[in-house]
Amino acid sequence: MKSYVNYSLCLAAVAAMTAGCASSGVKNPRGVPVTEMKADERGFVAGTGMESQDLVMVTDKMARSILAIPEIANAQGTPRVVLNPVNNETRFPINKDIFLTRIRAQLNSKAAGKVRFLARDQMAALERERDLKQSGQVTASSDPNVVEFKGADFFLTGTLQNMTTRTSKGVSDYVLYSFRLIDARTSDIVWEDMAEIKKQGLEDAAYR
Amino acid sequence: MKVAFLSVGLGALLLLTGCATTPKAARIPLTGDPLVDGRTHIEQGPPNERILWQYRTALVAMRRGDYPQAKALLDDAILTIGGILTNDKDARRARSMFASESRKKFIGEPYERVMAYYYRGILYWMDGEPDNARACFRSGELIDSDTEVDNYAADYVLLDYLDGFASDKLFTDGGDALKRAKANASTKMDVPPDYDRAANVLFFTECGFGPQKYATGQYREQLRFREGQQQARVVTIKLNNGQVIRTRPWDDLYFQATTRGGRVMDHILANKAVFKQSTDTVGDVAIVSGAVLATGRNTQEAGLGVLAFGLLSKAIAAGTTPAADVRAWDNLPQFLGFGALRVAPGTYTAQVEFQDGAGRLLANLSRRVTFEVKAADRDTVVYISDKQQ
Repeated sequence: MKSYVNYSLCLAAVAAMTAGCASSGVKNPRGVPVTEMKADERGFVAGTGMESQDLVMVTDKMARSILAIPEIANAQGTPRVVLNPVNNETRFPINKDIFLTRIRAQLNSKAAGKVRFLARDQMAALERERDLKQSGQVTASSDPNVVEFKGADFFLTGTLQNMTTRTSKGVSDYVLYSFRLIDARTSDIVWEDMAEIKKQGLEDAAYR
Repeated sequence: MKVAFLSVGLGALLLLTGCATTPKAARIPLTGDPLVDGRTHIEQGPPNERILWQYRTALVAMRRGDYPQAKALLDDAILTIGGILTNDKDARRARSMFASESRKKFIGEPYERVMAYYYRGILYWMDGEPDNARACFRSGELIDSDTEVDNYAADYVLLDYLDGFASDKLFTDGGDALKRAKANASTKMDVPPDYDRAANVLFFTECGFGPQKYATGQYREQLRFREGQQQARVVTIKLNNGQVIRTRPWDDLYFQATTRGGRVMDHILANKAVFKQSTDTVGDVAIVSGAVLATGRNTQEAGLGVLAFGLLSKAIAAGTTPAADVRAWDNLPQFLGFGALRVAPGTYTAQVEFQDGAGRLLANLSRRVTFEVKAADRDTVVYISDKQQ
């Protein structure tokens, strides 16, 4: 009787072991649901480059810093600002405009008209519209021959720079984000601020 | 009774050994068009080969002048290769004894990753973004910077030259990068010229076939490279306005592939090979000893035990997979060249001719390219390959 039990146990073990082989080849058969994350949250997909949480942190800091300077806080009238492209000197190819876009959006939404941005990137369309008005092809709510396009009081621009170290122990990237506001009349840099982020990591040995 | 137990155990071992085979991948329908087939592989092929097919297909798209598609594919690949790959299940399996290296997600050897950045850099420059192009060239240099021998670290002539050239175009100092480029230029290759900031037409040329991977060693655990077939070395571009530029190779991908030194993965594969050999030898000895013992009336049980151990050891040896991963970006060129010209705005046709190392014209490769030079302050980028796909 005891030997039959032993036999049965042995066969059951064999069956269990071989049955385990059937599960190979199918991973996450139902998929992995989308995980929504905050833009300033570090995701589980990460590198040493610029990521959304860096963008949010840097642009929040810059927007707060700009509003505090006397040239903006105590300005007579509303200063007009033009965005100049950010200079990317890092090793990371990025959409550079995203930094200035977020700073502009932050200031426009939070600063309640303390600064105004000029839509220079839309100049071609704006000029065409003005020409249509001047030629009488479309209606105008004011005299189209009077120049109403505003000039800039300040230029907002920035530079992204980085230092990289790569050794057998991993990759380390330091990125310096600096932004400045330049007086369009005098070329004075009336404001400058920076943020710096350093990241490092080591890849799986299978990729080294 | 014990003999019966052991027999069941041996049966189980045989059954388990059968599990070593992997399920066959679904057959991917092919059309013969590398662009269509590449896309099909990306969409329907194994996920761990997605980047490999993105590389290959992006280059086909480049050669056909389908730059938007090449951009999209390279961008997606760079999202992965630009990150830090950790906690990857497939990578963990690739390091284990019982899964091959090719189980891991393909991102390519350093020379392959460098080329992904190189091509993306060309496309950024084409789009009037020399700073992002420079970022790509810098990332490429970084990938090549951790070689075993320092002399070969970050020694791509073209990447340094283009890094400095983009800086010069952006009115910053590219002098150090130019110095590095000139210092790295080998005696076999051309020494790059000084920058001409006013040069507004940039010719990126390439020819030959890139390095081919193969595995050697008792268990194919050693990754090696074979030089690709090559005829053309020099590219002559004759514009219909009489201007002529000749580009010679500045970089050789076979040289780059073979001067990296060993990988960390090579040590893992070597350990796997030693383990496979040891368990196989132990298995042989145990099977023979077990068989001999099993013939004796008094040693039958012990013999079957040793035999079972031998079979287990053989099964483990058979399941150990030290073979190196030889998947490769197989449509890369061997030689990379570059030239820049000052050209007045207008539409141009250029006669492109390829010559071999002895200067003989390879007439079958000659072709015409048409490009437009715009008045805007954006460089015109012309990409020329000796391959038409």
